[in-house]
Amino acid sequence: MIGSGLIDRRSFIRAAGLAFLAGLAPRSAFALSRADAVYASGLRRADGRFAIGLVSETGELIDEIALPGRVHGLCHSKTTGLSVAFARRPGTFAVVFDSQSRIEPRIIHAPDERHYFGHGAFSPDGRLFYASENDFAANRGMIGIYDTRADFARIGEIPAHGIGTHDMTVTADGAMLVIANGGIETHPDFGRTKLNLDHMEPSLVLADAKTGALIEKHSLPPELSRLSTRHLDIAADGRIWFACQYEGPRTDRPPLLGHFNKGETLSLVQLPDSTTDRLGNYIGAIAVNRREGLVGIASPKNGLWAVLDGRDGRLLSETILADAAGIAASPKSFAVSSYRGDFLGTHTAVAFDQHITRL
Amino acid sequence: MRFALTSLVLALSMSSGAIAQESNAGPAVLNTALVPGVMTRAVDDFIRPGYHRFHETAGSLKTNMEALCATPSATSVDAARDAFNDTIDAWSRIEIVRVGPVIEDNRFERVLFFPDRKSTGLKQVQAALAKPDDSVTQMATLKDKSVAMQGIGALEFVLFGTGHEVLADNQGGDQGAYRCRYGAAIAANLERLGGELSAAWDAPDGVQAAWEKPGLDNPLFRDEKEAANALLGILVHAAETIRDQRLESFYKGDAKKALPRQAIYWRSGNTFRSIAGNLEGVRDLMKASGMVELLDDDSRSTVSSIDFVARALLRVVNDIRPNVEEALADPAETAKLDFLLLNSRDLILRLNNDLGGGIGLAAGFSFSDGD
Repeated sequence: MIGSGLIDRRSFIRAAGLAFLAGLAPRSAFALSRADAVYASGLRRADGRFAIGLVSETGELIDEIALPGRVHGLCHSKTTGLSVAFARRPGTFAVVFDSQSRIEPRIIHAPDERHYFGHGAFSPDGRLFYASENDFAANRGMIGIYDTRADFARIGEIPAHGIGTHDMTVTADGAMLVIANGGIETHPDFGRTKLNLDHMEPSLVLADAKTGALIEKHSLPPELSRLSTRHLDIAADGRIWFACQYEGPRTDRPPLLGHFNKGETLSLVQLPDSTTDRLGNYIGAIAVNRREGLVGIASPKNGLWAVLDGRDGRLLSETILADAAGIAASPKSFAVSSYRGDFLGTHTAVAFDQHITRL
Repeated sequence: MRFALTSLVLALSMSSGAIAQESNAGPAVLNTALVPGVMTRAVDDFIRPGYHRFHETAGSLKTNMEALCATPSATSVDAARDAFNDTIDAWSRIEIVRVGPVIEDNRFERVLFFPDRKSTGLKQVQAALAKPDDSVTQMATLKDKSVAMQGIGALEFVLFGTGHEVLADNQGGDQGAYRCRYGAAIAANLERLGGELSAAWDAPDGVQAAWEKPGLDNPLFRDEKEAANALLGILVHAAETIRDQRLESFYKGDAKKALPRQAIYWRSGNTFRSIAGNLEGVRDLMKASGMVELLDDDSRSTVSSIDFVARALLRVVNDIRPNVEEALADPAETAKLDFLLLNSRDLILRLNNDLGGGIGLAAGFSFSDGD
């Protein structure tokens, strides 16, 4: 009821003010409202300030939510319509926002002795959200649990069963957390300095969402110990796709992504050498298009995004895009952004950050 | 003073606006042909000399500590402290390099374990001093102990911390001799680490070659963009560290909530000397590498603007009272700290956005990591 396009358009134009409207082409001023937003992404504006951008299905930047600092990953609840953007590690804030303007954006903070690792996810019913966090004194990843119906209170935490925790998500039934432990030790006192490249411990973990108990932990073989498992998405059949960033010699050509399902061992995908080279041994973001059965990956290193067959990881297409940043499922394929302001082929004078969420 | 500082802030923010307009001309493209030359100068004219100087000053520190142990006196304590201060100078300049051999084998933390928020390292050093243990008075065995016990922070406590008076006691006494031998072992360990770092960068076919010749067979940088990213990363991370870890660790803008004993090297009064060394390191690296050549003619003022901000910061850093606790009690001094907080942020943005964008790296945004 609340989200009718007409009401939103009015309230948006009222809220956005004349300054914003003056900056839009006349057609856009009438055509776009927050109701048209399909994607959200962190961005840096031309004046150097940070914001969350709400973006249309054709890549037009509709509106911005100002931020106190740079954000990284975002998650969205279809059930409640709320989204959360997490501060870039080692940040300590997250912003809860509603792309439909039904609530004011609000900021929540990581507790003492914890910082956010930049990603999180809602439970399917929207009641809880989970945040990947660093217990830096003990050097272990944790998953903070927040109650969206109790003023976003942090009501508990469970171990991530690894270090350098990064992305995480929740299975469709809400029963399991899927956690990517990048395996790289960091500490806020040392900024983003990587402290343990000599002995990394990357892993993928399935944990019981209620109790935190470890269900499965998949470590990488010793020869791939420098392959940091960072990002995740889940396919329609429950298959988990993960993407990696390689910290070893640049002359190596490691597998950069893989997939598994509960009870299986990891299947690593060896891309063609030329593709691995163009990705720069680095995947910055991964997304699954569930309806089309596709997996999309993007890398800013040499500027490439690629589409794979979700059945077997076969490479279907690759596209050069300078500073390719975020990727999310679009109706037929993927929406891809760049640090240079590209979003689905539309250019805006901002720098889009590393991740996109579909609203 | 307050007025003068405010005026400078205003002048700086106006120049920032001018630069922002310049950079709107369109995305710059990295001049790849010039990158190997820039990387070579960064290594040969900044990184290697920087580690050599650290190695040398640590060697002099070791000599002075040994002299102190041989003939304890107020004079030899002063000489050892002077050598200690010189070592901090040398280290502070090259510590901005937080990549390569220094982050292997925990060398960075061995040289400098900081911050020590829960006093873990301090307690270990105090315990070592309280109960004589020959394994801490020999470099060969000290180097295998906790990293917090074997570097500059530990030696600072030996020379300036509670009980340091025994060092000058020429009446002998086991306590003074033991404390001194522990300090000498730390100095020897610093010299060893300086030697390892120098050797690693001096070897013609090691990290030096990787930095100077990006290419398909290079284990670090497959192309010029990756190399230039790493170089810019040193500058940006240095500026971030100065603000986030060296200033905000003890002062976030409210003197009442300040934590003077969280300041680096507060015991020896070297807090601002160290920050000045970091800033000089940023200036030196920018200048020595000739990064300005990577900028188009019409955006080369970016480098001089950054240098202007760095010099303004240096002027104020060098003017603050060295005793952090006293500085925090004086509004005129905290005004200088406020200036540092404000303008160190400006320095970060200029390096990341203006310089990064100007030389054609990812519009200066996520130059070093998608994360």
